[in-house]
Amino acid sequence: MSAQATQRRDEPPPATAPVLKVTGLDVDIKLPHSVVRAVQDVSLEVWPGETVSIVGESGCGKSTLGLALAGLLPPEAVTRGSISLGGRELVGLGERQLRAVRGAEVGIVFQDPMTSLNPTKRIGAQVGEALRLQRGASKAAALRAAADMLDRVGLPRPREQLDRFPHELSGGMRQRVVIASALICEPRLLVADEPTTALDVTTQAQILELFDGLSDELGMATLLVTHDMGVVAGHADRVFVMYAGREAETGTTETIFETPRHQYTGALLGSILRMETPRKSRLGTIPGRPPDLTAAEAGCPFAPRCAAASGECTSQLPDASEEDGHRWSCYHPLATTETKRIPEAQQ
Amino acid sequence: MTRFLLRRCSQAVVVLLLVSVIVFGLLHLLPGGPARAILGTHATPTNIAAFNKQNGLDSPVPVQYWHWLTGVLSGNLGFSYVQNQSVASLLAQRLPKTAFLAGVSVLLAVLIALPVGFYQAVRRNRAGDYVLTTVTLVLYSTPAFWVAILLIDLLAVRLHAVPAEAPQGSFSALISDPQALVLPVLTITLVTVAAFSRYIRSSVLDELAQDYVRMARSKGAGHRVILFGHVLRNAMGPIVTLLGLSLPFIVSGTLITEYVFNYPGIGLLTFNAATSQDYPVMLGVVVVVGAATVIGSLLADVTHAILDPRVRTSAGIA
Amino acid sequence: MSLENVATAPGAKESALAAEAEATARGAWLRAFARNPLALAGLVVVVALLLFSFIGPLFYHTDQIHTRLALETLPPGSGHPLGTDDVGYDELGRLMVGGQTTLEVAFGAAAVAVVLGVVWGATAGYFGGLLDGLMMRIVDALLAIPALLLLLFLATVFRPSVLMLIIVVGVTAWLVPARLIRAEALSLRSREYVLAAKTMGVRAPTIIFRHIITNSIGTILVNATFQVADAILVVAALSFLGLGVAPPATNWGAMLSDGLNYTYSGFWWLTYPPGIAIVLTVLAFNLVGDGLRDAFGLDTRRR
Repeated sequence: MSAQATQRRDEPPPATAPVLKVTGLDVDIKLPHSVVRAVQDVSLEVWPGETVSIVGESGCGKSTLGLALAGLLPPEAVTRGSISLGGRELVGLGERQLRAVRGAEVGIVFQDPMTSLNPTKRIGAQVGEALRLQRGASKAAALRAAADMLDRVGLPRPREQLDRFPHELSGGMRQRVVIASALICEPRLLVADEPTTALDVTTQAQILELFDGLSDELGMATLLVTHDMGVVAGHADRVFVMYAGREAETGTTETIFETPRHQYTGALLGSILRMETPRKSRLGTIPGRPPDLTAAEAGCPFAPRCAAASGECTSQLPDASEEDGHRWSCYHPLATTETKRIPEAQQ
Repeated sequence: MTRFLLRRCSQAVVVLLLVSVIVFGLLHLLPGGPARAILGTHATPTNIAAFNKQNGLDSPVPVQYWHWLTGVLSGNLGFSYVQNQSVASLLAQRLPKTAFLAGVSVLLAVLIALPVGFYQAVRRNRAGDYVLTTVTLVLYSTPAFWVAILLIDLLAVRLHAVPAEAPQGSFSALISDPQALVLPVLTITLVTVAAFSRYIRSSVLDELAQDYVRMARSKGAGHRVILFGHVLRNAMGPIVTLLGLSLPFIVSGTLITEYVFNYPGIGLLTFNAATSQDYPVMLGVVVVVGAATVIGSLLADVTHAILDPRVRTSAGIA
Repeated sequence: MSLENVATAPGAKESALAAEAEATARGAWLRAFARNPLALAGLVVVVALLLFSFIGPLFYHTDQIHTRLALETLPPGSGHPLGTDDVGYDELGRLMVGGQTTLEVAFGAAAVAVVLGVVWGATAGYFGGLLDGLMMRIVDALLAIPALLLLLFLATVFRPSVLMLIIVVGVTAWLVPARLIRAEALSLRSREYVLAAKTMGVRAPTIIFRHIITNSIGTILVNATFQVADAILVVAALSFLGLGVAPPATNWGAMLSDGLNYTYSGFWWLTYPPGIAIVLTVLAFNLVGDGLRDAFGLDTRRR
């Protein structure tokens, strides 16, 4: 049962069913003196070959969502709702069953390649590890597959790297190793949690291109968790905007960037620097701070910081409005004419 | 690796030299000078002058140091007027006994502390951890001599399970009476386990919180794979270093134990030397133990470097 | 055996770093310490023992100077809640007096060790280079000599007294804080505010005191606490070996070791009170030290 990682697919498989279907997901994290409602009522779908980006500020729950999808939540987490991966329900699975899913069905890449690799183990062993754990591959077979995978992620002289230790490689190379080790079993879904934040800009671009390539090649669905809208614009097919653990808005990248509806999305986009931004204009910021996720408050969580907030915003959560796959939950959605003015709004 | 070895070895040499300087300094710090200290308070000025001349103590200090150092390096550690033997021969008799006692105890302590520390880390903040942490903490806070005497009271006096005093005589006589060794070994082991398991627990906890453990879990690794395939190797490095640095602590513990059980090792030798003001013996022991510690910690560092490839290439950590 | 009870919360590392910085900021560590029940318990015990030893004699008067052999080794009973010792001293009163000496020596020795160690370590770490190398090799050399051997040597040379004990114990204990503070100094000296101070021409001793040492206060406090705990055990060991203070002064270690002579006579009130006092105090200081270390967010392996 040697790894068949070298099989190239020339066209994406027919998109009949989503790889990932999340319905009404709630994740509460129990702390000694309080409960953090990290994820509240999140629903989303990801199809094979597509890249969905989950965006939001730090602390909005996007990382928790990513961990939930990879089955890596700590025992203090209480999960409700449904996560269906390739038809298999993940919520409610025991640790032993989750172990079979991790690595084989879903791979995860974390932010810091420096610490994601075990400093005392050789690269080859770490890359091939999932193959040995999940498919019972022999040491030799795992090493061969590792060399192949390292080649595919663009590591020069892969066979030589097998015997090296992580500290002998640069940051970008290390992240490629991490990606290789996450993908060695060819999972259906890759969750990438801020995969390029710790890297320099050039390496960032290379890694993101790598994701694009692998997504095409393996027909893999990618969930890109990030706070960097530039990354989203360049590499995501669809966007899922999160705020305070909830969905604010979701749609295709084009729709979100050109015609955002939720006030928060508008504010996020307004804070990015663009080529068109006139010099000497003020940088747009969103006033206030992200909400405390331990306190349960009624109404829209963004209301305290929203320029367009009104009475109903603070009393009741808005229902979601939908139009052609573009969904948002806001009482005062941005009008189409407003959104075109966003670059100027920074003055 | 060779650069690392060279650097560590040269550091060790410097430290050894400094140890020798300190010992030499202590010898001359004694009130009245070494002559009076060695000959005793009844010595007359003539005796002292003769002694000084005979032992080269009337030469300038650096010259004396050189003579002393070359003497030490060729095996001459001085002469004990109290015991009427050369320090070197005294040490040769007693050192193996202490080495045996300390060696067996530390080995046992490590064999117990490793699984205990690992267990505590894995079961962190649960019942098992609390119980073990409390027990080790209380043990750690109890004076070693009380532990020794409580053990004697329990095992030797009340239960008559083992004898209360250690066997005397030669090394072979010692080893052939294992029952009499139980209490001294048990004392040192208990005290050492208390200290080690706390450290090991922390070490393992630190490793378990690392990102690479999370990464391994994300590949589907279970607890056995994570503990033995990942954490063990990374946690061993600091533990080995700890062992290397623990030698002085272990010697101190051994001293008390030898005193309580009348065990004929270098600890008891030093104590008797202290009470009889036999300075050459005391300082001879210091030189030997000091040198052993420096070499021991050098070996520990080298082992750590073998276990952790980062250490080999790291920039000079003084 | 499960490993899931390990922090895998997202952003755990980032929030840990931020927490450390925040904790050192004024007051935050106090609040964190106050939320730790074990640490608070330790603190309460320490304060209770301090009060017992120093304030106790004001309420409970006993004669601790004159021996009264007629009253020797009486079991706990009327007039003597903890009985009397082998020369007729009231044991409870003796416990208080012994506590005073024990705690005085322990705090004194810890102070000596910390002051010496901090100055040495901060200087070595701040200047770095050859000076650092030499200073730290000296520390290594002194560390290679077992403390008890050094203590034996010093104790036979100098006359036993409280001051001598403080100095002798402190002088063998300053090595660990020296190493710890040196590590702090090494990392702090490249911080911007230190570089700024240097550029402004602030002289080295001022920088060392105002910036390096004040920003290592967490490490220093934690180590000082453990130093007190260690000093109590060291003095107990020295007293056991016969090198403590001379009567009528006493300390818990001496009381314990004297009492142990009577183990087989069944005079439990001569050993357990001082013994338990020692264990309680050392335990309490260790708990406080652990609590402080957690409150400051420091590396759990450092003492």
